[in-house]
Amino acid sequence: MVPTGKATTIRRTFSRETSVGIEIEADPSIIWALLTNAADFPRWNSTVLSIDGTIAPGKGIALVSTLAPKRTFKLKVKEFLPETTLVWGDAMGKRRYTLTKNTGGNTLFAMTEKIGGPLFPLFAKMIPSFDKAFEQFAGDLKKEAESILNANY
Amino acid sequence: MTIEQLTKEFEQASGQLRSYILRITASVADTEDLVHDTWLKATEKIDSFREQSSARTWLFAIASNLAKDNLRARRRWVSHVTDIAKEAALSDPGFFREAMQIHATSPQGQFEIKEHIAFCFTCIAKSLPLEQQVSLLLKEVYEFKVGEIAQILDSTEAMIKYYLHTGRSKMISIFDGRCALIKKEGICHQCSELNGIFNPKQRFQEEIVKIELAREAATAGKEHLFDLRMKVIRGIDPFTSNAAALQLHHLEQNRKVMEKYLEKDPG
Repeated sequence: MVPTGKATTIRRTFSRETSVGIEIEADPSIIWALLTNAADFPRWNSTVLSIDGTIAPGKGIALVSTLAPKRTFKLKVKEFLPETTLVWGDAMGKRRYTLTKNTGGNTLFAMTEKIGGPLFPLFAKMIPSFDKAFEQFAGDLKKEAESILNANY
Repeated sequence: MTIEQLTKEFEQASGQLRSYILRITASVADTEDLVHDTWLKATEKIDSFREQSSARTWLFAIASNLAKDNLRARRRWVSHVTDIAKEAALSDPGFFREAMQIHATSPQGQFEIKEHIAFCFTCIAKSLPLEQQVSLLLKEVYEFKVGEIAQILDSTEAMIKYYLHTGRSKMISIFDGRCALIKKEGICHQCSELNGIFNPKQRFQEEIVKIELAREAATAGKEHLFDLRMKVIRGIDPFTSNAAALQLHHLEQNRKVMEKYLEKDPG
């Protein structure tokens, strides 16, 4: 995935997959801390209204996003590899975050969400595009992580 | 390091260690125990001190570890702690009776607004996750560098920056929403209310302009106001200040109220 900060979506009959990647000038530990501190999300991430619960292996969270502010998504943390991979999801789909440290000390952040299933074609048109929200998410994460690293402490 | 050198270093740092631990635990009894334990641990580990850091940093690291162990199983306070504690104090006639007694008889029983600002920060900072609270205290109050805090907390500089950034942001937002000293719409007026009780002859507005934080409130940005608040706190030792006895009594009250509140609150 080219880390341009631009989202791409692949549409199939029974699924849809949206991805975004961006290079962040910060250590993976900072990005990981931002991605796993549930209560702090709304402070820096303009696509998230709230996350209740603890982002930890096997734990459940309740997420409300700007894409569907009236819905609370009950999700489970399915993979949790510190500073590398975080996956949460439900029966409909999974969102995967991956962090890769590059040789220059920066971090490549990638986020992919795949939704689908046998009944997906019936609902596909009702589910809004994730592209803009994904780009916003990646941009907010980059801005926050870089401002932490460059803060004059 | 010899035991004589350690004794000297400990004596030099002990005042700051006491206030630091008090600000983390909000308990005088725990503070006394933990300062004592810090000394014992330091003497035990004296041979492992390799001068990779200053003795002060090393002592703060020992104290921080002990304080973290002490607090690990306890829940964090809530950001509106002062509202809950006020309600409890108002329904407890004994609290004000004791406070008035301290005010009337103790040489450290004065009520000073700047000391209340420091007290208030101690209480509210206990609503932050522990690492954020501790990092913020070490940086803003005890003036350690990020690299030294990383040594004290056995973490990375990147993570310490994260704790500082997040902790500062949260505290700035809480004070911006609550503190009537810096914002007209602020919902917390406890400084002026308590000043009215303990210093009825004082004019609050005349007193408040003596404090740079309040003086600059109308013109300065939120970040700068937070820095000014930290300046107030740096200038106060909660054990030796003019208002120490009164504020420690108040802190003890808030701690008990919070412990009860958190027991009942399912979280």
